[in-house]
Amino acid sequence: MDWQSLWLTTRLASLVAAILFVIALPIAYWITYSRWRLKFLAEAVVALPIVLPPTVLGFYLLVALGPRSPLGHLWQSLTGHSLAFTFQGLVIGSVIYSLPFAVQPFAASFAAVDSRLIAASATLGASKLRTFFEIILPLSVSGIVAGVVLAFAHTLGEFGVVLMIGGNIPGVTRTVSIEIYDQVQALDYSSAGVTALVLLAISFGLLSLLYALNRKLLAVWLWK
Amino acid sequence: MRDTENYLDSAAGLSQRSSTLNLRVRKRFDSLSAFELEVSASVNPGIAIVFGPSGAGKTTLLECIAGLLTPNSGRISIADRLLFDSERKVDVDVRCRKIGYVFQDLALFPHLTVKKNIEYGIRNLPKSVREQKVEAIADSFRIGALANRKPAKISGGERQRVALARAIVTDPWVLLLDEPLAALDQRTKNKIIDDLRAWNSVNRIPVLYVTHSREEVFALGERVLLLEAGRIIAEGTPNDVMPRS
Repeated sequence: MDWQSLWLTTRLASLVAAILFVIALPIAYWITYSRWRLKFLAEAVVALPIVLPPTVLGFYLLVALGPRSPLGHLWQSLTGHSLAFTFQGLVIGSVIYSLPFAVQPFAASFAAVDSRLIAASATLGASKLRTFFEIILPLSVSGIVAGVVLAFAHTLGEFGVVLMIGGNIPGVTRTVSIEIYDQVQALDYSSAGVTALVLLAISFGLLSLLYALNRKLLAVWLWK
Repeated sequence: MRDTENYLDSAAGLSQRSSTLNLRVRKRFDSLSAFELEVSASVNPGIAIVFGPSGAGKTTLLECIAGLLTPNSGRISIADRLLFDSERKVDVDVRCRKIGYVFQDLALFPHLTVKKNIEYGIRNLPKSVREQKVEAIADSFRIGALANRKPAKISGGERQRVALARAIVTDPWVLLLDEPLAALDQRTKNKIIDDLRAWNSVNRIPVLYVTHSREEVFALGERVLLLEAGRIIAEGTPNDVMPRS
């Protein structure tokens, strides 16, 4: 078991989950409450990473992060190195890849908040921002927890996108799933088995925690 | 402390104001079964009942007044405050209308305690004033002992009182009540009606009370607006306008 790749994967997943918590909230809010007629186009774009083959997404990300793209060029002029095949590039790619896994549970939980509560908040003079933070967000806590945990777990196990934009650089972009792939390629099935088991245990533990926590949270929040 | 006294003095002044709600509203729903609400009325301080069958447009009328729905045309004003005027393109935001609204399903915030629910609409006031007002209103509606409980942990009648207290504590210019007692037994209804009458005898503001219960009309109404298929078909005292049954 390569602890370095496990540490890198955990760091990547934590960072991606934290970033998604911040950026997926306004996106989910907009998707839920916007009355824009072409909103379905934005919803389709957000959901694309679910259906696109990771290699396709990885390819586009590789092009978008490369030194010839505006973003890659800007990054290179600021930092002196390319975004592709770096940990930062991996974070950006993973955020995009896991975006729907955070946005969709967030949006579903916002939509489940009784519209009468939002109307009541408005008649009591509360601004949209205050209604969001004091009514919508607390009542969506189970969806928020689900989105963050799913984003973390999804990043933990990603393979195709990581391989395309990060390659396989030990300590920089070599995640656990890449390590398993390497071990299988080297016919080292026993090491691959151990690494796979660790990933399986972490994923199972996280999902169990999610379901247990959600029940507990809702119970405490609404009934205590 | 001086701020507190000043605020309470001005709040007392506000609660004693006398203002009439004038409304002329037309709201059409084309996408549904082509329903159209067309209502003109003046509501003086006191309790006016909006009585009518389901689908008559009672809730639509309240939502137009509150600013939750935008009428297709018309004018809504309270005293000299213009809330909506389609010709002059005035449409005051729901958050700024100062209209108390008790929803049919009450819409209490389930994650907040009774106290937090009541003080939600007066969070901009100084803490000492806020606490004084919440305590006073909770006592007058006999829910003071429930301050730290969540809505799920109190009875239906207590929830109705909390919803009333939450709307009233903001010193609204108009109070809109959408079938607030529909789910209660007669004994609890009578108690809450007594409380509401007592409150309104001191705080004379226009109260529009939607119901389809004849008992509530006779128990509460100083004036009844009979609404049917989006039109007011009669108005007057309960004895004058209520259909014989």
